[in-house]
Amino acid sequence: MLDLEGEALRDQVIALCARGVDRPLEDAVFDALARRIFAFQFERNGPYAAYCRRRGRTPDDVAHWSEIPAVPTAAFKEVRLVAGRVEAAEAVFRTSGTTRAERRGEHYLLDVTAYHAALLAGFAGYVLPDRAELPLLSLVPPGQQMTDSSLAHMVAVLVERVGAQGSAHYADVQRGIDDDALAAALRRFTDGRTPVCLLGTSLAFLHWLDRLRARGERFRLPAGSRLMDTGGFKGRRREVPAEELRSAYQELVGVPGSHVVNEYGMTELSSQAYDAGLRDWHAGVSGRSPRKLAPPWMRVLVADPETLEVARPGAVGILRLVDLANLSSVVAVQTEDLGGEVEDGFVVLGRATGAPPRGCSIAMDLLLSAVEERR
Amino acid sequence: MIRADAFHLPALDLDRVTGWDVRRFGDEVELRTPLLDASLLEGVLERLRAARARALADRPVAELVDIIDRAAGRLADERDPLRRQAEGALPAITGYSPPMVRLIVERMARDWRADALHALLAAELGDARVLDGLRPDPAAAGRHRRAYGPELAFHVFAGNVPGVAVTSLVRSLLVKAATLGKTASGEPLLAALFARALAEVDQRLGECLAVTYWPGGTEALERLALESADLVVVYGGEETVAALRGRMPAGKRLVVHGPRLSFGVIGRESLGREQARHVAARAARAVAVFDQQGCVSPHVLYVERGGGLQPDDFAALLAEELARLEEDLPRGRLSPAEAAAIQHARSAAEFRGMAGRTVRLFASSGTEYTVLYDDDPALTPSCLNRVVWVKPLEDLFDLADLVRPFAGRLQTAAAATTPERLARLAEALGRVGISRITDLERMPWPPVTWHHDGQEPLRELIRWVDLEV
Repeated sequence: MLDLEGEALRDQVIALCARGVDRPLEDAVFDALARRIFAFQFERNGPYAAYCRRRGRTPDDVAHWSEIPAVPTAAFKEVRLVAGRVEAAEAVFRTSGTTRAERRGEHYLLDVTAYHAALLAGFAGYVLPDRAELPLLSLVPPGQQMTDSSLAHMVAVLVERVGAQGSAHYADVQRGIDDDALAAALRRFTDGRTPVCLLGTSLAFLHWLDRLRARGERFRLPAGSRLMDTGGFKGRRREVPAEELRSAYQELVGVPGSHVVNEYGMTELSSQAYDAGLRDWHAGVSGRSPRKLAPPWMRVLVADPETLEVARPGAVGILRLVDLANLSSVVAVQTEDLGGEVEDGFVVLGRATGAPPRGCSIAMDLLLSAVEERR
Repeated sequence: MIRADAFHLPALDLDRVTGWDVRRFGDEVELRTPLLDASLLEGVLERLRAARARALADRPVAELVDIIDRAAGRLADERDPLRRQAEGALPAITGYSPPMVRLIVERMARDWRADALHALLAAELGDARVLDGLRPDPAAAGRHRRAYGPELAFHVFAGNVPGVAVTSLVRSLLVKAATLGKTASGEPLLAALFARALAEVDQRLGECLAVTYWPGGTEALERLALESADLVVVYGGEETVAALRGRMPAGKRLVVHGPRLSFGVIGRESLGREQARHVAARAARAVAVFDQQGCVSPHVLYVERGGGLQPDDFAALLAEELARLEEDLPRGRLSPAEAAAIQHARSAAEFRGMAGRTVRLFASSGTEYTVLYDDDPALTPSCLNRVVWVKPLEDLFDLADLVRPFAGRLQTAAAATTPERLARLAEALGRVGISRITDLERMPWPPVTWHHDGQEPLRELIRWVDLEV
């Protein structure tokens, strides 16, 4: 639950989300709200305030939203970043963590309505730019089975609030994907000429496609069908380039590359960015660079990894996101991803941590996971 | 712009080369290697084997030492054009600063000189002439023995420390193996320059050596090399090693130098006012050399409590010394991912401190150096490039249990303590898998005769023949 001031800010954020993603937001409007939210969080969150003071950036010093100190995602593992009492949180999401020994990040949401408004508007704008009403078929287990997972929560909200008739989850925490039920559903929708939208992690899709290939099974989903995948292959031995996955979607499911939308989201944020491709396709624009777009209420900054100042245009650096919907935690988050600005969006170019050493010294991630295996 | 050929392929049929791989490193260096296909490589391998029969198999080892020494002499000589080419190009290729490149080439080349090679042969074989013919075996009266190296060896190099590849080639030549070295994208030059120097000293021996680059995992070339060679040596990360191991033909010998972790430990008796400064300076140097990319580079420095200086004060001193080193041995250029990893490590430490743990950060304003003091003594790997943990020890002998979870991946422990405690510590660390215990000054520079990763680098390459009379 938010306090009164928080509720007032929340209503403004919800109103912004309600405008959708089509109309750009003036920088002055974004800036004013971002700085008010920053001040709101600064007053209520001790660790964040301490972090900002150490950098000499209190609400009095910050003249523009780009100067708001961004909290690294690693911080969510160490301290509680919440603008209020933890007990008042309506939801808490936790990062998965690649090893058991690793502490998990925690994101407390005092109010889920701003989060819901942001995720619904973003999905509508980037995955359903044609306003299609589609059955959503989820390869993510139902939210109540994974209460820690922001992705499961998000997909559950989408299935419930956006999904047309026939929307359902085809995965279970214990049993994984129900291949037979999913296949039956895909055949049914194909026969009925009803386009659908598949949702899942890239890893879940990858394994499912492997099984389809092994069984010699393939689908040709009706035109207008699409697929949203998310997440890379962090900490996994097997890495599959996005292009390879895309051609497998085309080959085995019949969803063309134009209709594959990769979502870029994380536990520590409330809004999501998405591939621009489907939006471009719907607008009849071709030849634009592959890139991700953030909704108007979230902005992207690229920080120079050497100085942590805003990087020069076009440079590769650490991605920072200023997300107005992150109202009850921290409005500015520094990710562990490298990327750069491209046209009106950005690209993600890999992880900023555990850069592989150049030879016989040891990669931190690998070493930690090896130790984990021994336990 | 320096343009160089990053290969030595004396047996290559240049007329049949259809394309070149040209790689640029900034605006400073351009390296060229021929694009090989399996049939070209097959020709190279056949001719290597033939050249060995002609020029290497029956060459006395003392003569080989002499030739290698003269080639190494060129890389050791600052005025030699090959050395100048190495010094000019390696900073742009590897990212290491020019003083670091100079230091590495200078120090590594010592291991390829005649005195070092004689010491190596003596240490491992006793009588080096066992490589030339039957020699009396001191272990059994009347018995004679003879050592044979492989006819053809295939080496896969890593790019972290220039010169390691050359050391590997030298070992291979000493046991009279014709050798194909595949360089890493991160450092494809020095091994090729060495091979060229060798060929200029002795053309016939030069024909027994081939060095080139192709992208790791190029299936057709690697399968052929793995199948043709009698022995394979690989340096590299976990994934490189695993990928090669999986493709090794059954029964063939594979020598692996995989990823390793090293650390330092400072006893309370070494923390007196005067001494602590010296210890910190040496520790800083051990961190700085190779920008921590070496398997001998420390990730953590353990500091025992109860000395003249507390562990966190030692961390501050260490940071001062690292700052000083920026002057004469500057940190190299980083990729955005490497720099970002440092920022990530720093901010994670800052928040760990906020969460109530005793964590202190001593760092440059840029990413040049980072000392992270953390009360939690668990062994924690560093993200490298001069990021080092300082952790407290209640007692020196707690160390073995702390590093035990990493057994099998540990290599060097550098200690500053009394001889009595060192002996006891060495015993305990040896048990959990440390293969080298040394002092901080020597840490980055293992002697040529070391038991590399607990093995004997020449003996790993040979097989023995006994003649019982």
